[in-house]
Amino acid sequence: MHHRPCGTFDVRYEDTISMSILRTHFHKVLMAVFLIFLYTIPPIFFSDYLLSILNTTCITIIVVHGLNILTGYCGQINLGQAAFMMAGGYTSAILSTKLGLSFWACLPLAAISSGVIGFAFGLPALRIKGFYIAMSTLAAQYVLPWVIIHVPTITNGIFGCRANSPTLGGITFNTEQKWFFLIVSFTILMSFFARNFLRTKIGRAFIAIRDNDVAAEIMGINIFRYKVLAFGLCSIFAGVGGSLMVHYLGVAQYEHFTLLNSIWYLGMLIVGGMGSAIGVIFGVIFIKLLTELTMLSTPALVSAFPAIADTVAAAIGPITFGTVIILFLIFEPRGLAHSWATLKASMRIWPFPY
Amino acid sequence: MLYFGQLMITGIMMGGVYGLMAVGVIIIVKASGVFNFAHGAIVVFGAFIFWAFLVPFGLPFWVSIPLLFLWAAMLGFLIERLILRPLIGQPLLAAAMATIALGEILNGIVVLIWPGPGRVYKPPFLPRGAFHLGGLVFPYNQLVCFLACMIALGIFVYFFRYTRQGLAMRGASEDHQLARSVGISVTRIFMISWFIAVLTAAAGGIISASFMGVDPSLGALGLYAFPAVIFGGLESVGGGVVGGISVGILQNLGGGYLDRYVGGGIKEIAPYIIMLVILIFKPHGLFGYKKIERV
Repeated sequence: MHHRPCGTFDVRYEDTISMSILRTHFHKVLMAVFLIFLYTIPPIFFSDYLLSILNTTCITIIVVHGLNILTGYCGQINLGQAAFMMAGGYTSAILSTKLGLSFWACLPLAAISSGVIGFAFGLPALRIKGFYIAMSTLAAQYVLPWVIIHVPTITNGIFGCRANSPTLGGITFNTEQKWFFLIVSFTILMSFFARNFLRTKIGRAFIAIRDNDVAAEIMGINIFRYKVLAFGLCSIFAGVGGSLMVHYLGVAQYEHFTLLNSIWYLGMLIVGGMGSAIGVIFGVIFIKLLTELTMLSTPALVSAFPAIADTVAAAIGPITFGTVIILFLIFEPRGLAHSWATLKASMRIWPFPY
Repeated sequence: MLYFGQLMITGIMMGGVYGLMAVGVIIIVKASGVFNFAHGAIVVFGAFIFWAFLVPFGLPFWVSIPLLFLWAAMLGFLIERLILRPLIGQPLLAAAMATIALGEILNGIVVLIWPGPGRVYKPPFLPRGAFHLGGLVFPYNQLVCFLACMIALGIFVYFFRYTRQGLAMRGASEDHQLARSVGISVTRIFMISWFIAVLTAAAGGIISASFMGVDPSLGALGLYAFPAVIFGGLESVGGGVVGGISVGILQNLGGGYLDRYVGGGIKEIAPYIIMLVILIFKPHGLFGYKKIERV
């Protein structure tokens, strides 16, 4: 049976079925089949180019999960996710090359350092709310790269810091295939964490703050503590993503983490649907597909308008991206996650309209 | 001392531009409650459009100005009608996100129309040379621009304090419902707000471009409006001016005295460091309203 009979209501928190993510056997089987396909099909059949797209997509999913916790659950705009990612990435790269630590030690340390930095930039939340806090993250996006460039003895400045490939039991992760297994495993782990996180006390407190901060405070939620915690958690995800990214690319380069990247992460979150873990995955995949499609269509456009070839290539990305976000905000403000829920609901009662 | 004075002068001149751009941000915040994150992109677009009127089209200065006003009105109208009006009734977060997306679109349009690197241009309407006073140098072009900023800001202050439309805008910023009940068209207020915001951003872009060339990197300069706004307080036009000048001065002093210790570049991040300090210690700025909510 692939869905529960009608009239089944979730009434008790103690009931494990009503709180579980995969509620029926059908769901569990479907998930198992999906995971088996995910771990077998791409590494065997996909080209290196496709695998590299998949790898970066998965890293981005981790980063946007973090952003979802801060912006989607807790309602604070974050314009500096790429900067927090950079903090994690550089920590990981420096520890790996200068101190010779292994990747498995670098990754948690990167997450912690990124978390601490995010925590620090969340501190203004003590006295401000609303869009003011976005200003603090905007400052992070300018201050952190400046620091990276201006302490070249530690970070190699503008030349970037090399990072070693991780090893595990004699396997060195140096090809797209090997990386795919590592990155996908991390993505599944972090997605699971992000999805479950919503249902903890902290997650519910975040949602209360997003929906109405005064009401949340009346109910005994310490707004400052939870906002700063949200910043820390958001940055921990960014740190994990940044560390993976840096080791995957083999170099930490501050140019990979610009304000533009932060804006794109926000856009992915909007398209997917804020406050939904599955939405994050949809949103990232949607925007990545869109980017790839625009890149594929560029040669056609260039041959159609040869005089302005370079221009079209550079301009079409941002214009499409901005337009898609505005269209989503106007016509589907709850994102692809909502479309997905509607689709599932209509499938369940098919062929009846409601 | 002379060095200090010169840094102060440069800071005040730059600060006037930041103040003008800050007013554009403040007007949008007052009208619709959102930060306009597309401000940097509008600054770039405005600088490019004015340059296009003057150089490729070869129009005289006095024709370009009305055309610029026309362009600002059109862009403001389109932004309000196509992007922000459909979002009425949704959370403010959505509107703020929409301005971020708008910034991306405008950046793309600028690259599409004027590709390649920036353009150097010496605005023919600005006087050359400089005015010397006790060893201090006052470049004429900066002086003219600063005066233009101050005149524009004076007009805004007059507009908000004494004209019917300006008072209506202040009323609408207090409470949309109340404003409607006394016969103010809030949608028209929104449109005028966007017109003014686009105009101030464009003016800031044009003035900055006359020193540094017409370049997409002017967008980063446009974002300095945010530190100025935070410094002065979100609700006050005068605060934006004071904030802009203060940020300009602190930026130049920081750059002038600290650059040699850290290897340069203080000027780029000083506004943001100032902003962080203000956010932590005086979050409502110098002239902002303190909203007290007790639980």
